[in-house]
Amino acid sequence: MNTAIELNNVSKVYKGKKAVDNLSLKVEKGTVFALLGPNGAGKTTTISLILGMRQPTSGNVKLLGGDPKDIGIRNRIGAMLQDVNVIDSLKVAETINLFRSYYTKPQSLEQLLRISGLENEKDKMASSLSGGQQRRLGFALAAAGDPEVIFLDEPTVGMDVTSRQMFWETIRAMADRGRTVVLTTHYLEEADNLADRVVVINEGRIVADGTPSQIKAETTGRIISFTAGASVTDDMLHKLPGVKKVEWNGRRARLHSGDTDRLIRLLIEQRFDMRDIEIQSGGLDDAFQALVGQKGDQ
Amino acid sequence: MSATTIRATIGQCKAELLRTIRNRRFVIFSVIMPVIFYFIFTETVGGDQQVGGVDWKDYYLMSMTVYGVVGASLTSFAQRLSKERTEGWLSLLRITPLPSWSYVVSKVMAQGLINLCIILIMFLVGGIVKHIDLSAGAWFTSGLFIWLGGFAFMSIGALIGSIKNADFVQVLSMIIYMGMSILGGLWFPTETMSSTMRNIAHVLPTYRLGQGAWDAVAGASVNWNGVLILVGYVVVFLVLSSYVMRKQEAV
Repeated sequence: MNTAIELNNVSKVYKGKKAVDNLSLKVEKGTVFALLGPNGAGKTTTISLILGMRQPTSGNVKLLGGDPKDIGIRNRIGAMLQDVNVIDSLKVAETINLFRSYYTKPQSLEQLLRISGLENEKDKMASSLSGGQQRRLGFALAAAGDPEVIFLDEPTVGMDVTSRQMFWETIRAMADRGRTVVLTTHYLEEADNLADRVVVINEGRIVADGTPSQIKAETTGRIISFTAGASVTDDMLHKLPGVKKVEWNGRRARLHSGDTDRLIRLLIEQRFDMRDIEIQSGGLDDAFQALVGQKGDQ
Repeated sequence: MSATTIRATIGQCKAELLRTIRNRRFVIFSVIMPVIFYFIFTETVGGDQQVGGVDWKDYYLMSMTVYGVVGASLTSFAQRLSKERTEGWLSLLRITPLPSWSYVVSKVMAQGLINLCIILIMFLVGGIVKHIDLSAGAWFTSGLFIWLGGFAFMSIGALIGSIKNADFVQVLSMIIYMGMSILGGLWFPTETMSSTMRNIAHVLPTYRLGQGAWDAVAGASVNWNGVLILVGYVVVFLVLSSYVMRKQEAV
């Protein structure tokens, strides 16, 4: 049994709307798996179905080969959910110890404080922590039982850059120990940096599945951008061989192409009036926008 | 039942106790207020007054002990429950290996311990400071009756706590608490009330809980009618609150 998570034709209907639409998915053990998608794509619903917090309308879900509601299975998983505030009137160490008491083989308090970077806060009231610190406490609670599969729903929202870097290190260390990590994120950089496998979902359906570099390669080539002189028209650019798409931002033109090396030579040979030329490879960001077919805000 | 589950239940219970003791509202309303009320009303009313054949200061000690226990079971219990639901804490607990029965048991156990402490504090204050001299049997029976009756109010607290708005729950539980305490004759004995008010009092669980304690102090036998009414409240509110909670969880 090397499958950590298995979804077979899972659908979830909410108030007549399909939040998850006939989703089938297998995640191997030891994978860092990122679920990517715009807001309302069905990421959180998918996670809650895998965790057994919600019942699928049809299809079936297996977590570590069993029912996610089974206490034996719950003992082997951990999760950091969205919209969970810290419990009132308990200190950081008390909260962590409470969670440690739920599991048969918990990690030590010291270890959990270290991986969440809360060693200096352990005697503070959990409710007095900053937003980022509260998220890190949430991570310590998810890791309390030394889980085989850990779920992180938008884990780094509200964390500063240093916290985020440190957090990524911890995730990598967990993966190195053979743990399965499932994360949802809308920070594409995060998926790009961490994940072995990215699944992009939109409107409850899988639109792409692969390693971050596969997804980037499949969806976009590279981009040449420049500030165009008055003589350059949209029509001229479209006529160039190998140009897939032209975008304008004022006089700034962005040319998408599968072969930017050939295109730049052509542009120079034809003496186009160009300034401030840049050549960039499309990031996961562009791939993502292409896949879900909408303009993001980043 | 595994060793982990026992450990988890004890851990959960300890956390509940810590959270309650650190809650200033609880300390003020369930411990300090009954003690202060007790002193004020036993000083102003005078030492040799009697209510239904019982010394006023004995009678009022029972009233205020009931008042404290009801407050703790109703308000701080409901508020903790509601907060845990609205802040997502309960959803997080549901994916841990903590069984749901263990969650309920630890909550009830912790509240039972807290109620026991309130009874002991009140009885110590009455016994040491006000020199109340009851027979060992009367102390024990009244204390036990109040302690057991406290569970009726936990079931009411559980129903109020199922409302997913912690601020509203706080106000609502306060109104119900104060209302039932005054109408049920915990502040002023029902003997001073009009007959209509007295009839209202007689159906309230606060009066019935007080009655058990007052009877124990007077040396009267247990009023089974009152016990039946209290048990009725437990059953009705337990059924209601577990129905509401199950309905909220079915998604």
